Amino acid sequence: MKPAPFDYYAPATISEACQLLSEASGGATVIAGGQTLMPLLNLRMSQPFILVDINNTAEMKGISAVDGGIRIGPATRQYEVLESELLVERLPLLVEAVRHVGHHQTRNRGTVGGSIALGEPAAELPACAVALGATIDIASVRGTRQVPASEFYLGPFMTVLEPDELVTGITFPAWPAGHLPLFSELAQRPGDFALVGVVGALALEAGKISRAGIAWMAMGPTPLKATAAEQLLLGKSLAEIDPQAVAEAAVAETAPFDDKRTSAEYRRTVGARLLARALRELTAQGEAA
Amino acid sequence: MTNMNAPEEKSAGILTGKYIGQRVHRKEDPRLLTGHGQFVDDVSVPGQLHVAFTRSPVARASIVSISSDYAREVPGVHAIYTQQDLADFNVDMISFFLASPDVKTTPLADGRVAYVGEPVVMVIADSRAIAEDAASLVEVEYAEETPLITIDDARHGAPVHPGREDNIAAQMGEEEIDEDLEALLQAAPHLVTHKVVHQRISQSPMETRGVLADPEGPKELTLYITCQSPHMVERWTSLALGKPDMAIRVIAKDVGGGFGLKNHPWKEEVAVILAALKFRRPLKWIEDRYENLIGANQAREQEMTLQVALDNDGKLLASHGDYSCNNGAFPQLSECNIAVHMFVWGAYKMPAYGFLTRGWYTNTVGYAAYRGPWAMESLVRETALDVAARRLGIDPIEIRRKNLVTLSEQPTESCMQIPLEDVTPAECLEKLLGYFDVDAFRREQAEAREQGRYLGLGIAAYIEPTGSAGAIATMTGELAQVRIEPTGKVTATMSTHSQGHGTQTTMAQIFADRLGVSYEDVSVFEGDSSRGGFSPGAAGSRQGVIAGGAAILAADKLAEKVRTLAAHLLQVEAAAIAIDAGQISVAGNPDKSISLGELANIAYGEPDRLPPGMESGLEAQHRYQPPPMTFASAANACVVEVDRDTGFVKIQRWISSEDCGTPLNPAVVEGQVSGGLAQAIGMVLLEEVGFDERGNPTAATYKDYMMPAISDIPTFEFVHANTPSQSVGGMRGVGEGGAIIGAPTLVNAIADALAPFGEVEVNLPLTPAKLLSVMEGRDLTPPKVVAPVAVEPVAPAPVAEPVPAADATPAGPVVIDGDWKMILSTPMGPQEMQGHFETSGDNLSGYLSSPEGQMEFTGSVVNGNNLVFDLKVTKPMKITLKYNLLIDGDKISGKCKMGIFGSAKLTGERL
Amino acid sequence: MSNHKIELTINGRQYSGDVEARTSLADFLRDDAGFTGVHLGCEHGVCGACTITVDGRAVRSCLMLAVQANGATVVTAEGLAAEDGTLHPVQQVMMEEHALQCGFCTPGVVMTLASLTGEGKQCSQAQIEGAMSGHICRCTGYQGIRRSAARLAYDAMGDSAQQGGDA
Repeated sequence: MKPAPFDYYAPATISEACQLLSEASGGATVIAGGQTLMPLLNLRMSQPFILVDINNTAEMKGISAVDGGIRIGPATRQYEVLESELLVERLPLLVEAVRHVGHHQTRNRGTVGGSIALGEPAAELPACAVALGATIDIASVRGTRQVPASEFYLGPFMTVLEPDELVTGITFPAWPAGHLPLFSELAQRPGDFALVGVVGALALEAGKISRAGIAWMAMGPTPLKATAAEQLLLGKSLAEIDPQAVAEAAVAETAPFDDKRTSAEYRRTVGARLLARALRELTAQGEAA
Repeated sequence: MTNMNAPEEKSAGILTGKYIGQRVHRKEDPRLLTGHGQFVDDVSVPGQLHVAFTRSPVARASIVSISSDYAREVPGVHAIYTQQDLADFNVDMISFFLASPDVKTTPLADGRVAYVGEPVVMVIADSRAIAEDAASLVEVEYAEETPLITIDDARHGAPVHPGREDNIAAQMGEEEIDEDLEALLQAAPHLVTHKVVHQRISQSPMETRGVLADPEGPKELTLYITCQSPHMVERWTSLALGKPDMAIRVIAKDVGGGFGLKNHPWKEEVAVILAALKFRRPLKWIEDRYENLIGANQAREQEMTLQVALDNDGKLLASHGDYSCNNGAFPQLSECNIAVHMFVWGAYKMPAYGFLTRGWYTNTVGYAAYRGPWAMESLVRETALDVAARRLGIDPIEIRRKNLVTLSEQPTESCMQIPLEDVTPAECLEKLLGYFDVDAFRREQAEAREQGRYLGLGIAAYIEPTGSAGAIATMTGELAQVRIEPTGKVTATMSTHSQGHGTQTTMAQIFADRLGVSYEDVSVFEGDSSRGGFSPGAAGSRQGVIAGGAAILAADKLAEKVRTLAAHLLQVEAAAIAIDAGQISVAGNPDKSISLGELANIAYGEPDRLPPGMESGLEAQHRYQPPPMTFASAANACVVEVDRDTGFVKIQRWISSEDCGTPLNPAVVEGQVSGGLAQAIGMVLLEEVGFDERGNPTAATYKDYMMPAISDIPTFEFVHANTPSQSVGGMRGVGEGGAIIGAPTLVNAIADALAPFGEVEVNLPLTPAKLLSVMEGRDLTPPKVVAPVAVEPVAPAPVAEPVPAADATPAGPVVIDGDWKMILSTPMGPQEMQGHFETSGDNLSGYLSSPEGQMEFTGSVVNGNNLVFDLKVTKPMKITLKYNLLIDGDKISGKCKMGIFGSAKLTGERL
Repeated sequence: MSNHKIELTINGRQYSGDVEARTSLADFLRDDAGFTGVHLGCEHGVCGACTITVDGRAVRSCLMLAVQANGATVVTAEGLAAEDGTLHPVQQVMMEEHALQCGFCTPGVVMTLASLTGEGKQCSQAQIEGAMSGHICRCTGYQGIRRSAARLAYDAMGDSAQQGGDA
């Protein structure tokens, strides 16, 4: 199980990387952490002519506070998220989510951008990007553009990225200090893709929910934002939340699928329970407070 | 982890010593922990080339054409072979029992393909990557046919193998339930009909298959191959190649797990061996995991319906089992798993049992063994007993107490005439119940249910036939050869082979104790067919029992020689000699002593000082022939919680109460049991080889073939309930038990947890969706793939025109007298034999002869062209074979009734 | 297909090589550098047998190209024991706890444990066991691995507090 032949380039800058992708006319694939791509290369399920490695591209790395939020370079390793005090404090959801991405050994190499750009509908980070309202920065020789995460995903493993384009950053908007993360995922074993999962964040102002972001994993062809459920939450105190009603509203917006792992109906049934459970835990926190 | 509350009791007769019975560190570990194991891919020889295969992407087709033109042009490619290139070797792909296959089996596809992944073309190249490049450029055109994937497909579809009448690979028992048995079943107060569907399993040793075939000139062949016994591979290869005039040496120092897959070479390994001989270069093929999951033989995939009749108290009255297993296209053994029926009620008081057992050919990769190949017997029985207990309102423990054969009731015989002398499942169960407080658990369970939490307790008991030797050609005794070197150190070569079994350790413990030397001074070598002698290695939980006995007896012989020599040199009585820590001393005479090293120097180098007639050197060997079978017994309990919201199973506790006789090394014993239990947990909850309707595997990577991880496996608690066996040393086999007992224990716990909702269909794996469906009362499982297998009429493929017998053979007297070549389809594979018949009026006399010998028959009648005669045999057990044959010209056919084994088909022709 | 010159440190010694772009780090370590203790169990990143450390962190060597290891410091299971043959504490504990049988998955397990429990590292039992879910062992049922994890944890009582760091 060895990859088919390819040429390898490790550009030092984004513009070099874009140049390579442009010249390859669709025959190039970007490798970041490679924790999903390398298996596909080894299995010859992916056979690019050119591999563009962005691990040596300094401007693609790092976690930084930016105007209005936090920017994460796509080549930032997943373990760096876990060790980032900035994220632990400002975006605890991301930290919790990354704990469930693959295994310890793949998180040491895997990147945030790789997971975001892959578009696996059962993955954690794309759902977080959608729930938190992130923006994906994209570059090519034709210029740059920014796409909201909610519009970035088109279908399973399909995104708006053109073959000559590259993700150059993921910008998460600021969420108020002390906002509450919500994370619940059901996977057969640690590191497996979610059978179903839900992620989110709730911000409170004067005891009322002022901002809510919730998104599903594995409940449709892309990560899905639970807009109606978010609306139900807004303006309520934690004690006022009706977890069951919110969960039902959230599930109503999904389009889960049958696959060999489980059924759409299982995903709907259990998904609602996961969200209701998570909300009940938050409500309990609210009552305790 | 050993439970401190459960001290390891030593029954009388359980062997212990300074090392035997102790948790000694393993000899194997320092090299393995530091990355210095020698697995097959770690071996390279000068000039080696690499192999990759082009495999069939379709499950059933004839091959229209093969073009290697583009592949040949890839730089670094040396040769490309198809079956045509290997045909001259005429290799006989024999089974583990050394029988030729029922269906023509070739290393590479021969004009047809019969499963997705079947190797069609092999590429020999400078590197594996280049070989794969070229293999992907080979163009094969297929004329696709509708494949048969499931057992049900096989029952109704056109034969997988052209020329055969149907898809039955093997069959035993009676198609109609015996009238008397049927009457018992129907008259019983309770009749439980219980069906178990077991998914297909990939043995999944962490080291995939692989071979490096190194032809050293025309007369020598060295094979480095990952296997379960180098001796078995050497024997198999020699026989498969027609005993070539060639020294074959097989080396396998470290093997990354076998579990039944690596009993002997199969298609790919054989193709590599033949290609190496043809191309006259060392060739290496290391299977990758994708190949392993689609192209390596697989196991289980079976279904069984067990009818169990009981009285109102839960006492067993009668039973019938109907078993089928999917053999795939080219099984390593045409298998209908007679052992399932031999042992299904082995340890229970069951008055009457009948069965039908069949194996089916399908367009899937072939069948091979997997740890506890007959494990279905325990799964179906123990889960059926729990179903019965629930239906009758009896405690599942009581139903077992009522029906298990206790030690005090032995010796006795099972309903399948298996002699039982010292099985202890009932005693293991009582010991388990002394450790686990069932009443406390039932209280906890009741409280939890009130809170909407579902806990369950599963209990199961079983016996396992281990250490089998003497009844089957390949199941032999074991050989130990041991010597005290002139340095005073001890070296032993064994016929054993470890794929993690730790035989270097356990055998060294025995030698150290029996020879009075320190464990550190003993080195044990195995894993090379040029050392030691024949044994099938790890197969059937046998090495501890048989090789352990061999080591004891060889060591005792050598110790005797040491004592004789020492007594002679020290001029004392041999009885006064003691050996300890490498030092020889004399009781009551502290001045007289000699070290083992000094003694050895004399034994080897100063023959003049030896007693008259004593052979120089300090060496001994013994091949131990144990009792034909040694039973291990166990009872297990586990506690689970099934999540009401998700259907996920959490195993909270697991207790194993096992009788393994003398535990040579309790840590090794517990390791064997734990590994088997983990595999059983995988079978019940996670693992599944699946196929879509076209026969494409749906689990071709470890993302989809879900192996149990540490998070799936609880900490096991052990209650040792050991009683000595009748074999030398008192050991009982322990290799397969965990994999057998684990599945029913866990299934019973889950079913107990969900009892308030109804019965759980035993259709493995029990996924969260299946279990949630039970609790919800609606189907939450993914829709089954509707296999659009067109039901084709069962018709033999038009291969050879049948000879129009009526026209060709003029009517005339039937000629019976003479010699006939006949093949009997037995559970061990086809048995070839020669029949000699002589008639005198209605009387028939003669004999049947086979490689095992010649047997005359009695009670013989001729009626026209119908021959009826009986033959009494003693192997594998005492039964009378009743032949009923018809002669039609030069052809002979008919049936042989084999007592409890049911009927077997016989075909043949005049010689 | 492009070829690349690489230089890296393996088990404390300098190595250089000329590798095809498609050569995995695992294949380079096994076939070119001779560290056959790097075992390939699946080549798609699930089984963990090929785990090594790169710049101190446990990674799958089948999921990295050799060319990507240029300039890196790599340690394999061969590089842990002392020069006099004294086993690394992880190896010693695993031997004492019978944490291996066939030994094929073992070098990977050793490397993850060594990366988490070396000097100055403070991983809880739960964190170590969490990281162990990235290794498949078909033989042992993980009993000895779990005992080893418990002994190697800074807090053998099994502190399940998850604070920042990954494991």
